[in-house]
Amino acid sequence: MAMSSCHKVEEYHGGLYGNFDALWKIVDEHYCFFDEKNVDWNEARERYRAMLDPEGMETTEFFNVCGAMLSELQDGHVNLSSSFNTSYYRKWWSDYRQNFDLRLVQEYYLDFDYSQSGPLSYKVLNDSIGYMRVSTMASGITHGALDVSILEFADADCPVIVIDVRDNGGGMMTTTQTLVERFINTRTLVGYISHKTGPGHNEFSEPYPFYYDPATGHMRWLRPVVIVTNRSTFSAANSFVSIMRLLPNVRIVGDTTGGGSGMPFSSEIPCGWAVRMSACPVYDAEMNLTEHGVDPSPGCRVNLDPELALQGKDTILEFALALASDWRSWYKKQ
Amino acid sequence: MRNAIIAILLMLASVHAALASECVDSVEMTKPYRPVLSAYTAGLGSAHVCNTYLTPLHYSGWSATLNYERMQAMGFDPERWVMQLGLQAKFDDAHNPARNATMWGIEAELSWAMLRRHRINSCPRLQLYWGGFTAARGGTLLLMRNGNNPAQAIGAWSMGAEVAAAYNLKIKRLPVTLRYQARMPLAGVFFSPDYGELYYEIFLGNHSGLVHAAWPGNYFRLDNLATADLHLGNTVLRLGYACDVFSSKVSGIVSRNIAHRFVLGVAVEWLTIGRSRGIDPHARIISAMY
Repeated sequence: MAMSSCHKVEEYHGGLYGNFDALWKIVDEHYCFFDEKNVDWNEARERYRAMLDPEGMETTEFFNVCGAMLSELQDGHVNLSSSFNTSYYRKWWSDYRQNFDLRLVQEYYLDFDYSQSGPLSYKVLNDSIGYMRVSTMASGITHGALDVSILEFADADCPVIVIDVRDNGGGMMTTTQTLVERFINTRTLVGYISHKTGPGHNEFSEPYPFYYDPATGHMRWLRPVVIVTNRSTFSAANSFVSIMRLLPNVRIVGDTTGGGSGMPFSSEIPCGWAVRMSACPVYDAEMNLTEHGVDPSPGCRVNLDPELALQGKDTILEFALALASDWRSWYKKQ
Repeated sequence: MRNAIIAILLMLASVHAALASECVDSVEMTKPYRPVLSAYTAGLGSAHVCNTYLTPLHYSGWSATLNYERMQAMGFDPERWVMQLGLQAKFDDAHNPARNATMWGIEAELSWAMLRRHRINSCPRLQLYWGGFTAARGGTLLLMRNGNNPAQAIGAWSMGAEVAAAYNLKIKRLPVTLRYQARMPLAGVFFSPDYGELYYEIFLGNHSGLVHAAWPGNYFRLDNLATADLHLGNTVLRLGYACDVFSSKVSGIVSRNIAHRFVLGVAVEWLTIGRSRGIDPHARIISAMY
């Protein structure tokens, strides 16, 4: 009686077809961007299932078929992880110019002399413009590092700071929050989040608005900010840009960000491989989905010129610094 | 005449004194001692865990518990009513079929039951109990390989029905008490996120739809316990077997936990007696189970 009272749980079986079907179904029931990506998931199942060969297929070949099916979703947040490989869709950045050379910035702009705490590097540049680089959101940024960096910029009377989030592949939204809360002065609507309410492709909850509060008791920067981006600015870093974009006195310079606005959800298939996929769409404060990236501010799309890079010029950073200088002139007039 | 009156007064006084004495005796006779039965046990066995919020796969492994049980006959009607207090800490360690991922379950439960006791005249060694209980349960399931959904919180408050039977016998010269107990929640509330809702969204402040009304159709649980209490002098050795079946389904999320455990522990019956009152050798002792 007790056993029959248990609620039904779908049994997944092993083998090529069992694992393949489990993978397809888990993604089918939890992935959130089928419509945005215009993907016919049923067709993908038939196409890739026909490639399975239970007689002579190696494990690595099977993995590659599964990985290729997941690549149909064109999503950097979708991975299949085994002990020997992790499938990864790379075209969201590999199809574009990198537009970033860390050595170039460190050598010609920071003179290899800068402060660093975790993912945060910072320095006041010669023309009194603050430079802050956030390399990842995967680890937290300490309040101490943010306090000291902002204090240093304020002591140098920097009118503008440049935040470089190129090649920041994201990480934790809480790190994004920690950072954004240093640039707002009131409780601010920063976005909306939704989630799947059932296995259907269009079963979503009402988007829930979420707010960030100013980091009271800590140093905050309320003067202009220029944010530098490239196609590898992804996920939580993409969210950072999408939030900052809507604040006053913020400009985005560089290339469109890489997107990745679906918060990932994890699961697994019977053979033990882990699968991760975008499951909860995050919108900006204007209810725009930034899965395909955030564009630079009007007139601020700039690429890194490789020839000038050889001469020590980061043309994106140069543009950002010029914009900051203009702002500085305006600020001094005020 | 005067002597007659004195004689009647003396007689009345002696009758009053006798009645008063009887009355005191009867009060003390109706106020028996109610020893507390305290049992400390540990359980170890197998666990079968599934939670579709974390994974669609069935995990299996081991389950361990630490239990405290306190039973006492109630003061207002000690022959018929018994109170039972329970505290359980549980730890599950289970693996996926490929055995490359581990799920941990950490849980605590506090329960309180009020049971009606029936003594069967034709079988004085048998006692039957039935009644209601309420329980609060909290904990978490952890599957650390998951990135944004590595945990599922467990939280529930329930009320339900409990039945039990106890039978006292002797095996050779050793007194033994056999007991079977089953309890099942019938109503309550329990926590669950929505189908694909991340805890980050809850952290952001979206608390709607997290608490659900429970009934056996969406929150089924049946806890079975069979014990044999071996009376070794003043201490009782408790051996037993527990089988807990749990299955819930809400917002498309199925959670299941089936555990079988062997139970081992000790139980003691104890009395608190005030120094000034001393021990009344005529008072009855009414045990909760023995």
